[in-house]
Amino acid sequence: MTATTNDPPTRNIGRADRRADAREKVSGQGVYTVDIDLPGMLHARVLRSPHGHARIRAIDASAARAMPGVHAVLTRDETAAIPMPVYGYFIKDQPIVATDKVRYEGDIVAAVAAEDEGAANRALAAIRVDYEPLPVVTDLESASDPDAAELFEDAPVGIVPKYGAGASGALRPRRNVCYRFSYETGPADAFAECDHVFEDVFRFSRMHHFHLEPFVCVADWSREDGVALWTSCQNPFAVRKEIARIFGLAENRISVRVPYIGGAFGSKNGCKTEPVALALSRLAGRPVRFCLTLEEGFLTNTQHAAILKLKTGVMRDGTLVARESEILLDSGAYSDGSPLVAEKAGYRISGPYRYRRIKTDCYSVMTNTAPAGPFRGFGGTQASWACESQIDMIARRLGIDPCEMRHKNLIDLGEPFVPGESGMDSDLREGLDLVVRELGYRRRGALPDDGAVKRGMGLAIGFKDGGGINKPALARVKVSTNGDIFLQCGTVEIGQGAHTALSAVAAERLGADRARVRYMPIDTDHSPFDQGTNASSGIAVMGQAVDRAALAARRQILEFAAGTLGCAAEELDLAGWEIRRGNEAHPLAPMIMDRFGGTGWEFVGEGFHKAPNSPAAPLESPCVFWEIGWGGAQVAVDTETGKVTVETLFVTGDAGRAIHPLVCRGQDEGAAVMGLAQALFERMIYDGSRLVNGDALTYRVPLADDLPADFRSVTQEQGHGPGPFGAKGMGEGAMLPVASAIANAIHDAVGIRLTELPLTPERVLAALAAKDTP
Amino acid sequence: MAERLDPRFDLSFTLNGAPVEVATTTATTLADLLRERRDGRGTKLACERAVCGACTVLIDGLPRAGCSVFAFEVAGCEVVTVEGLATDGALSPVQAAFADNAAFQCGFCTAGMILLAEALLARDPDPDEATIRDWISSNICRCTGYGPILEAVGDAARRRREAAR
Repeated sequence: MTATTNDPPTRNIGRADRRADAREKVSGQGVYTVDIDLPGMLHARVLRSPHGHARIRAIDASAARAMPGVHAVLTRDETAAIPMPVYGYFIKDQPIVATDKVRYEGDIVAAVAAEDEGAANRALAAIRVDYEPLPVVTDLESASDPDAAELFEDAPVGIVPKYGAGASGALRPRRNVCYRFSYETGPADAFAECDHVFEDVFRFSRMHHFHLEPFVCVADWSREDGVALWTSCQNPFAVRKEIARIFGLAENRISVRVPYIGGAFGSKNGCKTEPVALALSRLAGRPVRFCLTLEEGFLTNTQHAAILKLKTGVMRDGTLVARESEILLDSGAYSDGSPLVAEKAGYRISGPYRYRRIKTDCYSVMTNTAPAGPFRGFGGTQASWACESQIDMIARRLGIDPCEMRHKNLIDLGEPFVPGESGMDSDLREGLDLVVRELGYRRRGALPDDGAVKRGMGLAIGFKDGGGINKPALARVKVSTNGDIFLQCGTVEIGQGAHTALSAVAAERLGADRARVRYMPIDTDHSPFDQGTNASSGIAVMGQAVDRAALAARRQILEFAAGTLGCAAEELDLAGWEIRRGNEAHPLAPMIMDRFGGTGWEFVGEGFHKAPNSPAAPLESPCVFWEIGWGGAQVAVDTETGKVTVETLFVTGDAGRAIHPLVCRGQDEGAAVMGLAQALFERMIYDGSRLVNGDALTYRVPLADDLPADFRSVTQEQGHGPGPFGAKGMGEGAMLPVASAIANAIHDAVGIRLTELPLTPERVLAALAAKDTP
Repeated sequence: MAERLDPRFDLSFTLNGAPVEVATTTATTLADLLRERRDGRGTKLACERAVCGACTVLIDGLPRAGCSVFAFEVAGCEVVTVEGLATDGALSPVQAAFADNAAFQCGFCTAGMILLAEALLARDPDPDEATIRDWISSNICRCTGYGPILEAVGDAARRRREAAR
């Protein structure tokens, strides 16, 4: 921990005490959506398409409807009565159950609610579907060819957000592309003045989030006057809005409740299980639980595989001048969050470097595979893989040290990323120098080789805009007569430590210990509105709303006391639920009951935050904060087997101010290990439209054994964040640099360049063979 | 129909030190049996293929994936779940070490990880780092990157040894 702030000691900020959710989670008492059990609750299962692409000629569910224990069967016949039975973020293209076609292996065709899952499964087996198979689209580069099959024949129903300077978006710009994001700044002729122009292509593999708590919800539409939904969901208010639109309901008749979430990593944004469960519950008149298996999770949401083509113009001294890029994202069969991911991958592709000219086009390409959506890093992972690999390649081509090349071109502290953007809020060189020191990068020339095993080191800087786009946040802080604090806001606890960090902020402002705060359960009927727990926005965006809410409550308390004590509020301080005036201490509880009667009172403060809209900013509003993940790796490459051993992995993020050090460390290290797995082995493997490793046994996620022998992280506290006490968001940054740092280290070790993930022994051997073949 | 394929029977075993007599079926897994109880939802199901270890429970002291053990297999056995670790509200040393080291994030793997660590430390009160890493590698945590979990197990071993002194 490198604390660079000189703030006075505080009650709560920076303390490595137990997380707010520690006791519940280590004792098995924490409640998750999987634990919700309502009287009379039925269980849902769905029938999935065995075809990657097919027209549905007929569905016969009559036998299933007549089976014992079956209470509702949902097919396209039933969804026809639902006002708008499709969903999605920008583009409403995913049906609740398939209507005319199925578009991937795993597409939902029918659903059953029964007394138990076994009865539901038996009913599904009795549903007959007559398919007319169609050609599949699985290749990103040929998906827009005139003879490629088309996933959607009709024009998309969707919107393009209002972009600012240089940015634009388009729906369906070409065949099988649901969205294109483009960005352009600087003079078009900038390449003409470059000494060198380098063009390279990078391929990025696709992971599944592998959140341990499955996609799950419990839906209750057994009453006429409204629906209740418990769901493992990152953005309950967005889901409420979608549910209202789909079913034609008033939003104040939909209660969405989110207990603890057992992991999400982006996957649990937007509708997943909810529309099916609600439709079944309405048909059955009973509550319905719909819990996917882990295998079904692979068929529900994934990361985006990608092809990234970079063209970069530089001067011979290593000065970057111009960057053009074309990015193809494999968005799968439905758009889900893909337009937003395209926007972010396209926007982030230039990395944290200064260019005179940037032009980017990023395409969301539809294929007959599982829908891709938000995944930790959100387009930034793809962008960083390509960007940080190419910077290294260019440096080596020019004979410049890759570290010096970065140093030369990094954006300065306070310098806007691009015109109209907010300034860089981390000293990028400070972080890079930290990696260089921790890794011993300067001594890499002296790394010993061990026979056929060669060693090398690599660096990378992951980069993304953090805090979401144009995102408002609202929080409410209530303080009871006895000084008990109720914190109400819509940030859900996915494991990232939001309860802990946000409670610490509220407590600090109220002169209380964090233990006095209860983070209130999330229910859209009572929680303040929130757009969603994503984009590392918890502390940097919601944190500012919580901070203001707590300060508003504090102000009310001080003004109340000032009135009672006959002095100015400015003379008073609040600590330990006493009013301090000089060396006098006045307990608040008796003062409150003296004024309001024996039942007492609650002080209520509200806080709002939103970055201002700006047409000068390319993405509606200037970025809230810049999320940076610096990384370095030392590898040992066995030139006989191709095996890459990551001996050292060092990552560091900038928390601005670490509200809770253990939470910050957990975010960086958890993200880094996800990046490590993606670098070396973790990937979804498709054979055509068929996923061949979509289960826990054959899909390899990292285990404790996979950690490098030397794996370390440091949470920097550079102090420039916009959040409370100078905090910045965490959670995604440290995933971003890992794969390229390892690829760069492999290059350093054995002089080969791998441009496709994962960095498998087969690819290493093939590249070594190619290098040795003149 | 389900009844004929899946006959009911009476099962006796010990759960967290207390005798349990329960009517169940031959096809019921231990994890499902536990989760049907009001006090049994701390045992979490994730992959349900005995890979991830989220549903780890102790059967006669050995860690087993509750998703892949039939209930009838525990007849006469001592079963320990996460609900059985605290004593009079006091966390076990392993639980306390997980809490203090933030060796969890979303918490979904935590019960299984804690029971795995309990089993390790019951067998080897002073495991070296390689042994801890080897044992913890039988379960999956998707959030933490494992570092805090490995540290918590070492910390728990120290706490247990100190408590035994």
